[in-house]
Amino acid sequence: MDFLYFLDLSQSIIDGVLFGAIYSLIGIGFTLIFGVMHKINLSYAAASIGAAYLSLLVVSAVPAPLVYVAAAMMGGLLGWLVYLICFRFLPLDNPLASLMSTVGMLLAIEELISHVTRGMPLNFPALFASTNIELGPYFIRGDLLFVFVLGCIAMVALMQLLKRTRLGLATRAVAQQPVAAQLCGMSVNATNASTFVIAGLLGGTAGAMAGAAIGVLSPLMTLPLTVKGLVVTVIGGLGSIPGAIVAGLIVGGVENLFQFLRGVSERDIYVMLMLFVFLVFRPGGLFAAPGGRD
Amino acid sequence: MDFYLGLAQVIGIHTLLGLSAWCVLHTGQVSIAQGGFFAIGAYVAGMLTSMWGWPLGLALLAGAILSGIVAVAVGFPALRIKGLMLVVATTAFAEIVRLVFFNLTWRVQTPAGLVGPDGSLGFGGIRYFPGNGWSMLEISFLIWFLVAFVMLFLGWLDRSRVGTLWRAVGEDELAAQSAGINLTAAKVSAFGVGGCIAGLAGGVFAHYATHIEHNNFGILLATFAIAYPIIGGLSSLAGTLLAVIFIQGILLEGLRFLGDWRSLLFGALIVVVMLVRPSGFLRRSLGESFGRTKHA
Amino acid sequence: MLELQNLSRHFGGVKAVDQLDLNVIRGEILGLIGPNGSGKSTTVNLITGVYQPTTGALRFKGQDLTDLAPHQRTELGIARTFQNIRLFGHLTVWQNLWAARVVRDRGWSGFRERWLSGAKAAREQAEELLVFGDLAHKRDHLAANLAFGEQRRLELIRAAASGAELLLLDEPAAGMNAEEIADLDQRIRRLRDQGRTILLIEHHMELVMEVCDRVVVLNFGRKIAEGSPAQVQRDEAVRSAYLGADHHA
Repeated sequence: MDFLYFLDLSQSIIDGVLFGAIYSLIGIGFTLIFGVMHKINLSYAAASIGAAYLSLLVVSAVPAPLVYVAAAMMGGLLGWLVYLICFRFLPLDNPLASLMSTVGMLLAIEELISHVTRGMPLNFPALFASTNIELGPYFIRGDLLFVFVLGCIAMVALMQLLKRTRLGLATRAVAQQPVAAQLCGMSVNATNASTFVIAGLLGGTAGAMAGAAIGVLSPLMTLPLTVKGLVVTVIGGLGSIPGAIVAGLIVGGVENLFQFLRGVSERDIYVMLMLFVFLVFRPGGLFAAPGGRD
Repeated sequence: MDFYLGLAQVIGIHTLLGLSAWCVLHTGQVSIAQGGFFAIGAYVAGMLTSMWGWPLGLALLAGAILSGIVAVAVGFPALRIKGLMLVVATTAFAEIVRLVFFNLTWRVQTPAGLVGPDGSLGFGGIRYFPGNGWSMLEISFLIWFLVAFVMLFLGWLDRSRVGTLWRAVGEDELAAQSAGINLTAAKVSAFGVGGCIAGLAGGVFAHYATHIEHNNFGILLATFAIAYPIIGGLSSLAGTLLAVIFIQGILLEGLRFLGDWRSLLFGALIVVVMLVRPSGFLRRSLGESFGRTKHA
Repeated sequence: MLELQNLSRHFGGVKAVDQLDLNVIRGEILGLIGPNGSGKSTTVNLITGVYQPTTGALRFKGQDLTDLAPHQRTELGIARTFQNIRLFGHLTVWQNLWAARVVRDRGWSGFRERWLSGAKAAREQAEELLVFGDLAHKRDHLAANLAFGEQRRLELIRAAASGAELLLLDEPAAGMNAEEIADLDQRIRRLRDQGRTILLIEHHMELVMEVCDRVVVLNFGRKIAEGSPAQVQRDEAVRSAYLGADHHA
């Protein structure tokens, strides 16, 4: 194995880690919702891509950076909608029902996108696509770096929101003890809805990031993003945000590593196997959440 | 007429798939792995009849048994993972299986030419039915015979001690342990039985379709598999059958006139059904009136 | 019959159970009391195998329990009821009992009994328990649909259904009125007279003092007193632990 091979290998990994910020955001979204409602919203990644599509509506009207903001906001809106439809009115003790409901939603969103776009991938504005930064022997792709930085900004913003605002406090309180939180005057529904909105903001950003990194948006992206997002959530530990962040970067890097070693068609096998290994040895994930009761 | 027979065949296969998920769901494990076992059964049975000339019955049996063995192997690590993590883990498993078959190329020379799975091109030439002159009617009878057999078997199992133990584990694992029930045995056996049935369904599917490829075995199929028992109501077998008929027959076919918008409405309809009747079509009391008695 | 030696269970810095020595004598009704948080439920969970001890040993009928899974301990002869009722809600009363009988059918004698003689003896025993619990008329009702008192009785007979020689009753009187408690008192005695040993965890002092042969008192995970009910009632350490909370109970 010569030096060049090793260089290419590590270049792949670096690119993968940068891309992994997208997985981190999706993983955070899944974990946020799980942390608060103890349920998984399977339509989350689809809604995120959907939000990115929606943001394309304004692409001709606003400068490129604002498209990302639009995507985030659309994501928040979609998040609220999903909460209303799939969670608000379903009995809490029937997790299967809302699971199925989100599956229905996932199907609906994917089909809707396919119909409206007639299955054609759409271009997504990628910033800094033509810049490359040289760092020693490595090239850091401008667009990937932008995506990564955007992701970091989103994560920091989220942490600030959770730790420093009343809303964040309410979210954490409801997650740990919904009944007591209600008795303290917090509206569980409002808090849950706002969690979905926050997750949606993140998701919309992630969707836009995915579009930017790949260059196009396509409905075929929804399922793989869902699966990878779930993998990230589980590896990071259900309910743990730092876990999702780290796990997302790891999955991104590993994905590219295996793609380099074994090619595109086999790479996911190894990513899944990695998940399995994790689950066998560390079922709680990297940072198992201190999680409420039981 | 052929159209209705074809529909009946699809409903039959999906019912088997739903029944396999029913077993596993009973012990409280939500598993997306049924799609993976379905795939294994399909490829194994298909390969045995088309590449090595096995008789259908043996091939189906072999597919079912092999799937069952893999299911048991998956069932053990699944013990350590609860609830939604299990959903993810089994999804990952199903994806691994799909990707393995996506990459599988193994062809042998037969009198009919080169036959076998061909990587991304899929696995064609499973010509047992046409090659042996089976009519649509006969195929339908076979499928429904298997459905009836599996339903009777599961009904018997459910009324017996095993069914009570499975349900007890699904109700409350802690109480079940304290009552002396061996959790491992219960959960792994449910996985195994479910895997066998899914494998059987897959084997039949392969021959019905004559050409299979990795896309047939995606996560969506596995989600359908658990959707049937959930929508039909977990407490009864008949509910699963009803759900399949409803979804495949009425929804997918009946909405055919809507053309491309069909799948979209389908998704929306699932959402609506869950809102209106979260515990499924057939709740406990209705299920009993279908003849399922409650004695252990 | 049951020996706990120097048993400890720590959760991080908290010593839920601290160097506990406890002996349960065959055929007795032993009461385990203590203020909230004193480690009673943790002790039960240690005995049944839900928790593993941090240090110390557990022996039942001379056999070391440490490596046995909960269902294996039930097989040996230890059964429990739960503080918050944990019945199999969507199973019928009969099915709840039947599920618990599975331990009796292990091994060759179990096989013979179940398949060859049609489980006749097992059914009879379960029927007897139904009668004992005054639930025979409700045998086909779903457990979740029973009244509270009936649910408690079902928990009790389900624990007995596994053929256990040692019954751990975790606050069976919680939420009961005086009449129900008197009824419970009788049942506990009859269960003992039928040949079982009982470890009773309770807050209701009247019941404990009435029905128990001996009482052990825990506080902060440690044993602070042991003896007959009368002795324990007079004990200084016990009084200060409860600090005036119990003069009605």
